This record gives sequence, structure tokens and C-alpha cells, in this order.
Amino acid sequence: MRGPILLSLLPAVVLFSVFFAVPLVVLFGTAFTDWSGAQLAFVGLDNFARLAGDPVFVKVVGNTLFYLAASTLVQVPLGVAVGIVLATKVPGWRAFRTVLFIPFVISGAAYALIFSMFYNPRFGLLNNLLVPLGLPQRDWLYETGTARWAIAGTFVFILGFVIVVTMAEIASIPAELYEAAEVDGATGWQRETRITLPLLRNAIGTCVLVRLLADIGMFDLVFILTAGGPDDTTATLALYAYRAYLNGEWGHANAVGLVILLLGGALIVAVRRAFRVGERDR
Amino acid sequence: MSARARRTTAVVVLISAALTASACAGGSAEEEGDEIVITCATCQESPTDPFLQYNFEAATRFNEQYAGEYRIEMLNNANAGSSEDRLQYYQRLALADDLPDIFQLNSAEIAALSETGKLHDFTGDLDADTAWAGTFQPGSLDALTGDDGQVWAIPQQRDPIGTYWNTELWGSVGFDEFPTTWDAFEEGAAALAEQGELALALDGDWATMLTWTNLIGTQAGGVDFLTGEIAGGGDWSSNEAVVAATERLRQWHVEGYVNSDAFSGDFSNAAAAYLSGDAATVPNGPWFVKTNLQTEAAAEGLYESTGYAVSPGWDDGQGIIVVSGAGWVSGATDEPSQEAVMAFMRFVTAPEEALTQAVETGANPAVVVPDADLESADLEPLSAGLVVAAADAEFSYPHVRVYGPAGFGPAWKNLWPAYVNGEMDTGTFLSRLSADASAGL
Repeated sequence: MRGPILLSLLPAVVLFSVFFAVPLVVLFGTAFTDWSGAQLAFVGLDNFARLAGDPVFVKVVGNTLFYLAASTLVQVPLGVAVGIVLATKVPGWRAFRTVLFIPFVISGAAYALIFSMFYNPRFGLLNNLLVPLGLPQRDWLYETGTARWAIAGTFVFILGFVIVVTMAEIASIPAELYEAAEVDGATGWQRETRITLPLLRNAIGTCVLVRLLADIGMFDLVFILTAGGPDDTTATLALYAYRAYLNGEWGHANAVGLVILLLGGALIVAVRRAFRVGERDR
Repeated sequence: MSARARRTTAVVVLISAALTASACAGGSAEEEGDEIVITCATCQESPTDPFLQYNFEAATRFNEQYAGEYRIEMLNNANAGSSEDRLQYYQRLALADDLPDIFQLNSAEIAALSETGKLHDFTGDLDADTAWAGTFQPGSLDALTGDDGQVWAIPQQRDPIGTYWNTELWGSVGFDEFPTTWDAFEEGAAALAEQGELALALDGDWATMLTWTNLIGTQAGGVDFLTGEIAGGGDWSSNEAVVAATERLRQWHVEGYVNSDAFSGDFSNAAAAYLSGDAATVPNGPWFVKTNLQTEAAAEGLYESTGYAVSPGWDDGQGIIVVSGAGWVSGATDEPSQEAVMAFMRFVTAPEEALTQAVETGANPAVVVPDADLESADLEPLSAGLVVAAADAEFSYPHVRVYGPAGFGPAWKNLWPAYVNGEMDTGTFLSRLSADASAGL
């Protein structure tokens, strides 16, 4: 019986090895080399020392953390709040859920193109709404003061995933808890804050984890909207690695890849601990 | 594991290995009967890119003419057009010894890719056929030639690139001809701004760099910079011509002479400003007529009221950018492939084929075409007029994106908006631009 089982695992093992394990080993190995694809020389920690001394790298780390903060501090709380409201089965909740989920399935590239038109300083919708109110015309994506916020504004309102996870988790909360609270005279606010929110801890932790891991490698939105400019104000770690790769500095690019992996790993551990993801209270 | 399971595993592994090996097979010539088959990565059909479409049709004509002897297999390539990913894509193929037999690159990309040692050097082919070598227009091979005299590409076009101007808008501020000095241009631009119109349509990338190049090239020492110093790295902030040109161009943004959506790097923003009649001027090459001015996107009557001019001068005269940057390169390594590649190079650079291309794309031939043939070809008058205008220009020089370092485009797009918005001074901008653009050298 073991033979067929092992055989059935073979395709998955081969694909995992070819497309994940081998590249990961290459990434680890070459992050400590000067490699342009042709010649390869071991340089120890030089790539990392160069990163530490590069003000652009410091900037892109800051930008990446900014986008991660936007996800966790805006997108997740907002999505959870909307999910809680929709879970009360307000009239038309199914239609709302569907509409709010649609942006989640639109590709990042298409989304970026839509927002490039929205932010266009000459004929974009945003300026056409604000300028008649007496506000100055702005180039939202190419002014250093607004560019990062404009990029964050394209994704923090994509709430569909968080809403669906929240609603699914709420559906699994036993109705008796709410009934008991009602008997005890709890208000609606108290029911949500004392019962729903604490029991959503796992779902919120999962949403935070998924958003962090998705956004730590953010590339397409930024690449299409601003290519990282102006003056690297919107550039991310992934874009920084891409530039190094285009310059033929593959070892240096892979050192950035390693930083992304380590940062991602640290965030996973921190979030799992903070939200005790996977542990059950009931 | 049972014997049957082991046999099944062995068969799966063998099939996987065979599939992998066939997928990784190199691109050497394939002979089918007596026919030599080569690959082209820039010969696909395109409804939007007239050059790719022309290449497709030229390769089709070649296949018909040489049926049974040579055949071009046209690869579908997402990186065929000009893009930031294109060089890196071909660098990957070069490392895998799998470059296509023919494809196109600009001169900066050619310089970078030649370092892999995988590009074919056409010097020997040109030396062996001096009659063919003599058909090329003077200077058309310059930007495609390596440091040690290697000819890495066969040019496809030799285009003068200048300025399209709206005669009615400029006429409304008293200019019956396009300004011949930058001072006059600024006077007209100020008058247009007072009327609520834009003097210049730019995009933050190609068109902005064209204007910057013209501002540099029309000053003392500017041509030397554009044909020398720019390619070799160094700090450009100490070059007076570059500093003056850069500050002048920024000032036009500050004064409101340029469209406010001029930083995206998307030429369609510049085109839209001109085609809608909002902007009085847009710099671009001869293909602009076919790809923009003669399309439905242009305001009614705009074609009839559009003129073409070389760049205004500063102190020393007027000038024009001449680009022969795009060229056919070859990754062919075996003799039969190289023989087929050369057959195609001769085919595509024959005067009649070059004229066909000029008709199809609006671009100008890289080879000398008899005047009588030019007249009978009845080329589009606005774009053909560029050739005449170029002949009278005092200076000619390459576009910065053609002769500058390969990293110039991304570095410019990153820094230019911040500089225009006053977030760095000219010295800082130029120092960083030169350093970032040359980072990959």
C-alpha cells in the first residue's frame, strides 16, 4: 500500500523541488555571492553590508513597512467591522458581500491601471472632485508627499477577503452565547465587543497574516503606478530586488530576497504569537 | 515498493526527463529537408506596433521568397516591443545559450547584451560584402558599433526625430513658423499659457528626454556630451550644457507650459494632450503620424494643422535627433543559421523592402534609396518631410535613451518628478541620475 501512496506524492514532490526548494537553496547560496548570472564569487556578508549602507534600501524597507501597516491598521479593522455589520444580516447583505468581494478578484495590473486614471492630475476623477471644492490640483502619484498614501489608497479598501473570513467565523459562533447575553441584558454594542470580537481573534490573526505575507512582496501595483518613484518614495523591497536583478546584480538581488524571507518569517512568528493563531478558546 | 510500482516510477521519471530535455533544447538551426529554419523573436503580428507588424509581414515575404531554402519561425514574444524587461529577458536567454537567431534591440541594450559574448558580430559579413555595406546611410551603424569596432546589429531605420506643432495654436500667439530659438519658444509658451493652453506635451520619459536632449544638443558642447560623456558614466552635474538644459526644462514645468500629467512615463499622456488640441507641441518620431495623428484619437482637422520642425537652437543653431538605434541582432551560433540570418538581413535592407517599411511605419530607411523610388513611393508627406528638415539642421545627435547607459530610463523616471517638484537641486539630481543610470555599467 505504501508504494502507490508514495507514487501519488511524487508529482507534488517533484514540482515542489523544482519550483520551490531548488530556487530557495539557490537564493540562500547566491545571496552571499557576487553573481551576474555568468561568474560567481563568494563575498560573504558584503551584499548585506552594502544593503545596510544604502539609503535607498533603508527607504524601501520603510515603504514596505508603511504598506504593511496600512494593511493591518486600516484594511483588516475596516474589513472586520464591515463583516460584523453584514453578519447581522442587514437588508441586502448578500449583495453587499458580493460587491465588496469583487475588487479582490481583479488582477493587480488591472487595478493599477484603473487607479492611474483615477489619480491622473489632468483628467482624473479625484482631482475633478476636489478642485471644484477649492482644493489645489495635485499629481497624487508623483509628489513625494502624497505618492505613498496614494499607493496605499489603492489596496487598503479591498476588503472582500477579510469580510468573508470574518463572516465565516461569526457563523461558527454558537447562538446560545448571544441568547444568554441577551437574557443578561447586554446591549448590541456589548454583545459585539464582549462576545464577537474576542471570538474573532483567530480569524483576525489569519487575516493579518495573509495580508502581511501578500503585501511584503508587493510589486505589481507599485511597478505599474509609479515604478517606485518619485525619488524611491513608493519603492518596495521586491521592486528594489527587481532593479538589482535588471542591473545584472543577481547576488545582490537575492540578498534582498533573503531579507524579505527573514522579515516575512519574523512577522509570521510575531503575528501567530500575538493573536495565538490556531489556538481555540472554546 | 513493489516491482510494478518501481516500473511505473521509472517510466514517469523517464517521461519527465524527456519532456524537460525537449523544453530546454537550444535554438540552433533546424533543418527540415534542405530548408534551414531560424527563429525570430521580433516578428510577431501586432495590431498596435507598426514595427512589429512590419517585421511579421517582412518575415512572411521572406519565407515565401525563400521557401524550401530558408524559413523564419516567428516566436510569440511578450518582450518584443521596447520595454524595461526586454534586456533582462534576452540576458536570461543568453545565459542559457538559447538566444533567438534574430531579434531587435536598441543600442544601449545591444551594448549590455554584447557583454555576454553571445551576440553575432556582423563585421566579417560587412567586410566580405562591401557592395552591401555601402548601401547603408552614413552614420547609421555608429550607435550599433562596439568599442573595438564590432558591429553588433544591422540597422532597421535611421529616423530624424523632431517636433510636431499645431500651426493654429502657435499662430494664435503670433508664430506663423515654429520658433527657431528657445527664447522665442518661451515667449510663445508664456503667451499660450495666458490663453489657458499648454505649450508642450510631455510624458516624463521618452518625450521629456527628447526635449532634454534637444536642449543639450543645441548648445555649445552639447553634441560632445550626447555622443561621448553620457555613455561612459561620470558625474554629469559639472557639465554646463547639461545643467542649463535641465534647469530650463524644469522651469517650463514650474511655469505651467507643460501638461500636469507629464510624469507617468506613459507617452499616451503626452499624445492625448496634443491630439485633443490642448497642447501646441509634442516631440516624437515620424511614426507619430501613423500611430497617433491619423487615428480617431486626433481632433478633427488636427492633421491638416500640424507642422513639423527641427529643434530650436540656443546660441549655436538648430538641431535634430537622429536615431539609428534599433537594430537586428543575432544569437545564431552555427553556420547554417548564420547563413539564413544573413539572407534575411540582405532581404530586409534591400531598398525596395526598406521603402515598403517606410510606407508601412512612417520610419525612414537605414539604407540609401534612389530619389526616384522615394518619389514614386508617395510617402506620407509630414513624416517624409522630416528627412528634408534634418538635412538642413546644423547639429544632429542621438537620443539619450539610445546612446546613454542602459539604466538611464528607470533612473530618469524615478528622479525627474522629484526634481521638478523642487525636492532636490540640480546638482543632486544630475549626480544621482548619472550614478543610477550607470549603476549597471
